Amino acid sequence: MPPPPNTPDEGLTEVAYRAPEDDELFRVPSPHPSIAMAEASPNGSCVIKLDYQAIEYVDPVDETLLCPVCKTPFHSPITTPCGHTFCAACINRALETQPTCPIDRQPISRTLDYRRLPLIVKDQLDRLKVKCPNKGCDHQCPREHLEGHYERRCEFSLVRCPDSGCNQLIARRDASPAKGCLHVEVVCEYCDTKTTFAELDGHHNFECDGVLIECPDCRRDVVRHALVEHRTQECLEGQAQCKWHKAGCKVADRRRVVQEHEQSGECSFEVVGRLIEKQAEDRKIINELSERLARVETSQARRRERRMTQLLGRGSFPPMASSSRGVSTSNIPDATLNNNRSLSLDSVDDGATGGSPEDYMLAQFERLETQLELLRKQSLDMDARQSHLILQHATHFSEQLAEIGNKVGIVNMHMSWLMSLQRQQRAGSAAGSSSNAAMSQGSGGSSVRPASSDDSGLQYAGNNRRHSEGRGESLHRL
Amino acid sequence: MSVPFAAKRLGKELNKISSSLPPGIELVSADNFEEWLLDIKVLDNNPLYQNQTYRLKFRFSPSYPIEPPEVVFIQLPDRPIPIHPHIYSNGIICLDLLGQQGWSPVQNVESVCMSLQSMLTGNSKNERPPGDEEFVRANTMRPKDIQFYYHDNDV
Repeated sequence: MPPPPNTPDEGLTEVAYRAPEDDELFRVPSPHPSIAMAEASPNGSCVIKLDYQAIEYVDPVDETLLCPVCKTPFHSPITTPCGHTFCAACINRALETQPTCPIDRQPISRTLDYRRLPLIVKDQLDRLKVKCPNKGCDHQCPREHLEGHYERRCEFSLVRCPDSGCNQLIARRDASPAKGCLHVEVVCEYCDTKTTFAELDGHHNFECDGVLIECPDCRRDVVRHALVEHRTQECLEGQAQCKWHKAGCKVADRRRVVQEHEQSGECSFEVVGRLIEKQAEDRKIINELSERLARVETSQARRRERRMTQLLGRGSFPPMASSSRGVSTSNIPDATLNNNRSLSLDSVDDGATGGSPEDYMLAQFERLETQLELLRKQSLDMDARQSHLILQHATHFSEQLAEIGNKVGIVNMHMSWLMSLQRQQRAGSAAGSSSNAAMSQGSGGSSVRPASSDDSGLQYAGNNRRHSEGRGESLHRL
Repeated sequence: MSVPFAAKRLGKELNKISSSLPPGIELVSADNFEEWLLDIKVLDNNPLYQNQTYRLKFRFSPSYPIEPPEVVFIQLPDRPIPIHPHIYSNGIICLDLLGQQGWSPVQNVESVCMSLQSMLTGNSKNERPPGDEEFVRANTMRPKDIQFYYHDNDV
C-alpha cells in the first residue's frame, strides 16, 4: 500500500532509498496502523508499531537529548549539514513544507546525505529508561530493549485475533487458538456499557465507573477486582501487623498507625527482626554451599574411582561407570534447587567417562603452568637487564656532567683574567694621564707593557691554580 | 494508539507551560489540542500598553508544529486589541513568524507569546496598520491564508 502523495512517509522512503546502509537509522514506526497491519506476519508478532514519541520515560531526560521539533528524546536521530540534530521523521516532515533547517534556516535539500550522530549519543539514548506503553504492563527497561519487549514479548501488545475470519486485534495473552475469537460483544455488568470480551478487563481496570466499590475501611473507591489486594496490602485504615511481628512485635493496628510505627524506628523488635532475616539469608547461603560441596566431593570421588578403573584396565569394568552414575544421582537428592549446576557437572562427568578430556585438561594445565614459570623468569631477566642499562647510563651521564663542570670552570677563569686585565688597563691609562707626559711614550710603553704581561702571566698561573681547585670542587660536588 | 503528531507535541508543551511560564504570560484555557487561550502583558512601562492584558487565541492544525498555529488577539470587555502598526483592529497579526515562510517547527506557544511581547514592547507608534478599516471590513479569510507582505524589519 503506497502512502498517499505529500505525506511524510514519502519523504522517508526517499531518504531510506538514498542511504540504504542506514536503514536502521531511518526506519521510523509507521504512523498508520493499517499499513503496519498489512505488513505484519501472522506468527503472533505485534501489529501496531511502537510509537517512540508516546513512550513515557522513567527519569527526566536532559533537554539536550530532546528533538527540537517533537520535544521528545531523539528517535533515529540524524544531523543536518549545518550541525543540528533531529529525529529522522521530524526533520523529514519539516522539510516537506520548507526546505530549510528549522533552527538556523539554512537551506537543506533532502538529496544530501545526512550525517550520522556520534555513537556516544546513540548509546545515551539507548540507555534511557522507559516504560512499556501498553496499559496494564509495568515493564521498564532501557530504550533499546523496548522494541523487542513490545513487539515480541509483552503480553499486553495487540496482535491479530487468532480467528482468521476476525479482523480485529487482541492482547497477546488472550490470543490463543484455544480461546478462539474473543471479540464477542458483552455488556459490562457494572456500567451497562457494551464492549467486547477481549476488552472487558481493560474496561474494568481503566474505564468503567460502575466497577468501583467503596473500601469498607478507608471509604475510598477501589476497583472491585482489586479490593482484596487493596485491603490486605494498601488500605491505610485496614488492619495490619507490624512487619517485624515474626520477631515478636505485638503491634497490630490500622495500617496507617502500623506504618508510622515501622518508619519511626520505635519498633524495638526491628533489630531482632533484621537479625532473623540476616540469619535466614545466611542459612540459605550455607545450605547452598554445603550442597555444592557435597556435589563436588561426590564428583571427585567418582573421578578418583574412574581413574582407578582406568588404571586397572581401560574399559574393562563397564558396570563400574554405570554404578557410579547411580551413586551420583542418589547422592544429590535435592537437585532441583541448583538444577543447572548439577546438570552441567553431570554432563561434564559423563563426557569424561572416557578419561581423555580429563587427562587433556591436566596436560593443558601443566603446560600453562610451565609457560607461566617461563614468563616469570623472562620478566625477572628483563628487570635485571633494564636496571643494568639504567645504571650504565647514569654513570655515563655523571661523567659527562663532570666534564661540563670542568669546562665551565675554565671559562670562568678566562673571564676573570680578562676582567682583571681590563681593570689594569683602565688603571694604567688613568695613571698615565695624571702623571703627565714626562716620560717618553715609546720608552714608557716598552717598560710598562712587559711588566703587565708578566703580571698577567703570573695571574694566569694563579688562576690556573684556582681553576684546578674549582675543578676539584666541582668534581667533589658531583 | 496513533495519536496525532500535534497532540503529542502539544501535550509536552502543556506539561511545561503548566509548570512554569515566563513573566507576563498566563495560560487561560487549554481544554483540547485545537484551541488554547493565553493572556499576555507587556512588562516594561511602555505607555501604549501599560496596565493592559491582552487575550491571545491559538488554533492548531493537526500538523502543528510543522505548520504554524493561527494566532490572533481577541476582544473581550477587559481585553482590548493592542494598538500596533502590525495588528489589525480585528486581532489579526502580521508577523512573519506566524506565516508559512517565517515559521519553524522549533517554535512553540511560549516562544510565540514572547515574540509578541517583544513586538509590543519595541513599538512606539500609536497607530493601526495602513488600510486597517478597509481590511477589517472586507476580510473574510483565515489569517493563515492572507498573503502578508513583510516589509518592516524595524518592529
